[in-house]
Amino acid sequence: MADITLRVNGATCAGSPEARKTLADFLRDDLNLTGTHVGCEHGVCGACTVIVDGRAVRSCLMLAVQAAGSEVTTIEGLAPDGELGTLQQAMWDSHSFQCGFCTPGFVMQAAAFLSDHPDAGERQIREALSGNICRCTGYQSIIDGVLLAAERNRER
Amino acid sequence: MKLPPVEYEAPTTVAKAIDLLAEHLDEASVLAGGQSLIPLLALRLARPAVLIDINGIDELSGVSATDGWVAIGAMTREYVAEESETVAEAVPLLAAALPLIGHEAIRSRGTIGGSLAHADPAAELPAVARALDAEFVVRGPSGERVIPAPQWFEGYLTTSRRPDELLLEVRFPAATGGTGVSFQEVARRHGDFAIVGLAASLVLSGGVISEARMAFAGLSDVPVRAAAAEDLLAGERPSTELFDEAARRATDDIDPPADLHGSSDYRKTVAAAMVRRGLRAAADNARERQ
Amino acid sequence: MAEIVAERYTGASIKRSEDPRILTGAGRYVDDIKLPGMLHAAFVRSPMAHAHVLSVDVSAARALPGVIAVLTGADLEAITVPGPDALMALMGWAGPTPEFTLLATDKVRFVGDPVAIVVAESRYIAEDGCELVEVEYDNLPPVVNAAFALDPSSPPLFANLGDNIARPHSRSEFGDVRSTFADADRIIDFHIDVHRHQNVPMEGRGCVASYDADHGVMTVYAATQSVHVSRIAVAMRLGIEPDQVRVLAGDIGGSFGLKIGASREELAAAAASRFSGRPVKWVEDRTENLSASGQAREESFDVRAAVSHDGDLLGLDVKMVVDTGSYPGMGAMVPAIMEAMLPGPYKLAALGFESTAAITNKASYVAYRGPWASETFVRERVLDLIAKDLGLDPVKIRLRNVAARTDPPAVMITGRPLVGVTSKESLDRVAQLVDFPAFRRRQAEARAQGRYLGIGVATFIEAAPGPRSPEGPSGPMGTESLRLRLEEDGVVALFTGQMPHGQSHQTTLAQIAADEFGVPFEQVRVVVGDSAVVPFGLTGGSRSATMAGGVALHGARQLKAKVLDFAAQLMEANAQDLLITDGNVWVRGDPASAIAVSEIARRAAAGPFGAGADAKLEVEATYDGGEGGWSGGTHCAIVEVDVETGIVKVERYIAVEDCGALINPAVVEGQIRGGIAQGIGAVLLERSAYGEDGSFQSATFMDYLMPTTCDVPRIEIEHLETVPLDADVNFRGVGEGGMIIAPPTVVNAIEDALAPFGVRIYEQHLPPARILELIAAADPGQ
Repeated sequence: MADITLRVNGATCAGSPEARKTLADFLRDDLNLTGTHVGCEHGVCGACTVIVDGRAVRSCLMLAVQAAGSEVTTIEGLAPDGELGTLQQAMWDSHSFQCGFCTPGFVMQAAAFLSDHPDAGERQIREALSGNICRCTGYQSIIDGVLLAAERNRER
Repeated sequence: MKLPPVEYEAPTTVAKAIDLLAEHLDEASVLAGGQSLIPLLALRLARPAVLIDINGIDELSGVSATDGWVAIGAMTREYVAEESETVAEAVPLLAAALPLIGHEAIRSRGTIGGSLAHADPAAELPAVARALDAEFVVRGPSGERVIPAPQWFEGYLTTSRRPDELLLEVRFPAATGGTGVSFQEVARRHGDFAIVGLAASLVLSGGVISEARMAFAGLSDVPVRAAAAEDLLAGERPSTELFDEAARRATDDIDPPADLHGSSDYRKTVAAAMVRRGLRAAADNARERQ
Repeated sequence: MAEIVAERYTGASIKRSEDPRILTGAGRYVDDIKLPGMLHAAFVRSPMAHAHVLSVDVSAARALPGVIAVLTGADLEAITVPGPDALMALMGWAGPTPEFTLLATDKVRFVGDPVAIVVAESRYIAEDGCELVEVEYDNLPPVVNAAFALDPSSPPLFANLGDNIARPHSRSEFGDVRSTFADADRIIDFHIDVHRHQNVPMEGRGCVASYDADHGVMTVYAATQSVHVSRIAVAMRLGIEPDQVRVLAGDIGGSFGLKIGASREELAAAAASRFSGRPVKWVEDRTENLSASGQAREESFDVRAAVSHDGDLLGLDVKMVVDTGSYPGMGAMVPAIMEAMLPGPYKLAALGFESTAAITNKASYVAYRGPWASETFVRERVLDLIAKDLGLDPVKIRLRNVAARTDPPAVMITGRPLVGVTSKESLDRVAQLVDFPAFRRRQAEARAQGRYLGIGVATFIEAAPGPRSPEGPSGPMGTESLRLRLEEDGVVALFTGQMPHGQSHQTTLAQIAADEFGVPFEQVRVVVGDSAVVPFGLTGGSRSATMAGGVALHGARQLKAKVLDFAAQLMEANAQDLLITDGNVWVRGDPASAIAVSEIARRAAAGPFGAGADAKLEVEATYDGGEGGWSGGTHCAIVEVDVETGIVKVERYIAVEDCGALINPAVVEGQIRGGIAQGIGAVLLERSAYGEDGSFQSATFMDYLMPTTCDVPRIEIEHLETVPLDADVNFRGVGEGGMIIAPPTVVNAIEDALAPFGVRIYEQHLPPARILELIAAADPGQ
């Protein structure tokens, strides 16, 4: 057990996770931030994606203790005052999702990608999201949501 | 699939990390990016007693160019290497391979040293290191040594790093003028491990191949250097016939493994296609880079 | 007489009311549930495919700090009641009934078969505890395929059966099979295999079970397609009165047929909760989901086709063997559905169908989106193969053979009328949307350059929910119930047994009710997922659009009539003169009379009223599906095959579909695209692989490959003008169609691409290595 502090969604958090506890489990169990989902626990499906120190990472492939001192953003941190961000709104408008289980991972990965590549086209977006698995949608509606968000960001 | 109980150390200096390695030897696993190691732990396929987390050792990160070599610290994140202008300029084969590694989130955490120390023969970086004759700098209690690529890769997920040694950096020779590169791979999906991959580098001067380097991913338990094909290419002008012959030479006496994703014959057939396509792409790249 | 309501919502892609919570991480899935004192379960699972269990030693596990209880199969037998699989009971299974214990006691029957449950303070510790359980196995020869299972010398998996037959061989004939085959110009034989693959929802199975000993009430937070079916399953196995079991479900991360009733693990978790006196959570991890939750589609077919020289498909004679895995389930029931559906929309004169279901040492066969889908694969493959043999165009041979839309409608040789079926129209529309001659020119040019493009077409129908049955609705699925209530705050609440797990019912049913009742969309609330509160229902079988949509439509009208009767008294008007629009009740012609529906509701709740005033603004509506109907369509795919590597890219995919009236086009299209993605996955990527020794080889996402953004192209969807069968309810289901028709569409395209090599394809799974094998083995002279 190690005592760690980190900032999650702008708030300082502390905990004493076992070394073997993943960041995903720490967020969900210790911090009650259940928006980050666990889909495979071996780093393939992307459902657990969060942003750590500005980079999208798979939280099932990080130990909680490794996030000590880091800035972490989870899905709950994207619309802290309840007002949806541009990406979330665009995905809502585009009917991007169905069961919603993959959603937090897609949103976080797409958010990270768009902030680095605001003018990405469909092909780049598809490649960037090819590490996130969705079983419900066939992806087109998700891609449309991201494209719409990019377009709206440019218009602003 | 929860990780098994394990002790955890997070040294902040190389010296301390080596002390810990010397203390725990085979009972310890070094935790770098974690993108390969943590899944093994989650599946309970790896059961180290101690994890030695080297993410806190700042001196292990960085890309620098000196004297015809590019030195990349072992903890350099793959995305950092991907964004490095030095790498793009001076180690174009590495730059070509990096975007094929998994997905962005993997490259956010995965490290150059970690991938090469893990030494998965189906991964992209071992093939690149083998093709370029990269050198591995390790340090242990008895000092530092430099291990050339052919000696580094010993077997499946096995390198010649001793249990009490830490990989500090990997050195890649800087590309000379006239170099053209390509990394070809057949993978089931974008971002997957290669079923067969080929790291290829050609140096053209006056339209003639003065140097050819090729190494395969996915054909054996280590990356495989296509030395016979390289010999064939040296001194020749690029042509379809030449590349076809090189493909035959490169795959004549290989005996690739079979698994869920491909039979041995399949891998052989694909390997030949990779040579044809890889050499053509490398030759085109050489002309573009001029 | 019904009022004509301006259709503001139905038919529009209204944004989902589910999304604000989904997009902000506020969805509540089973693994998000935390109860005070909750424990976590993990299972000890068999590493052997087939073995006797000699002993189970849990002492070390019990001693591990943090482990609260360890229950073996024997322990669980003592505290549960034996019983059949819930889905099979629901569907009225009357065939062979294997006897087995909830967790393995004397025998394990597949790799992953649960042997003991460890309950601990955390999942981490529970898994640690599992490693400490020592099980002694005595290996038995594994029954690894149906052929061996049907061999009388194979060791029976279930002692009470004496053999490995889940459903004995049976044969049916429709029409005059003998003469049809005797008189046909040609008889062509095929053997076609469909491979094992599986549902793989992004959320696995799981539940939190909480037994309240003081009141004798078992509460289960579940991921399920029906809270009531789960409730009955739990009640039966735990020996609790059904009304003492309550099942709650929040958001569910997909299912595709997997999460129906209660799995053995969920039942064990419930029993463990009662045993330990604390809530117990079990959520399967991905390895469990892939290896133990169940698999589907492993079916093989010997097909004889009777054809004319001109390409008439006169008759089919099909022998099917399904590998149902170990424990009983859907597998034994699937042949009957396949038999009924095999003729599809075609004018078959005769059908012979025989089947056997075999028990093997693999995970159990479960329902997977369109469980009968292989009948479409077989039929649409056969049509293409016949077309090739006779030198006919694949669209033309289908047009030749589909039944024309007549009145009365043509009847499938297996009995169901093809009422409202638009197969011909969908084939024609595909031919308009895709310039086939231009493609053939492009294909020829590409071939000259060593590139191999192919085009494939396939057509299908699905009973969504199927045409009205002359005998009337039957079984618990024959009628849909809905309770509607005008709440005190003016919200129209719908209490439905539908259990959405991606289908967006909270949006679509609200659209219909809002239109019919006359309130804004936001003023309707669809309540799901509480067995104490919702009527019986199940989401599955592509029936909810018709059944739930229909009962929402009629129920909203009934509620409106009731509300207007009450309002009429309040407003001293005639009910026939009252309208409800935009949430206000008003007298026709007098807008100033408008009173908010919420005000009506408030007054109804306030009371008191005189005799004759019905102030309980609630109705219990039922709907039997009305005329029902078919959904269907024609799909077309264009692929490119790299013949050096075997990699296949789907370049273009067109779906022309008819699912009746659309409630919400975006929802419909999402369902279609998702199903198609699964079909593409099945052909190019997904296989549940077992070794010769029964070992399971695709237990992680590194080996079970899911389609990604780079594998599924943009899918062009065209909706057909449909044939209305009913004055009001013409919504038909669309959930399963994409998955049914995509595999033959893609395989037909691949075969077309490889035509120059003489390749003929008799299987569904075509990974790159297989493509190269097919090319190498083929005869270009064909």
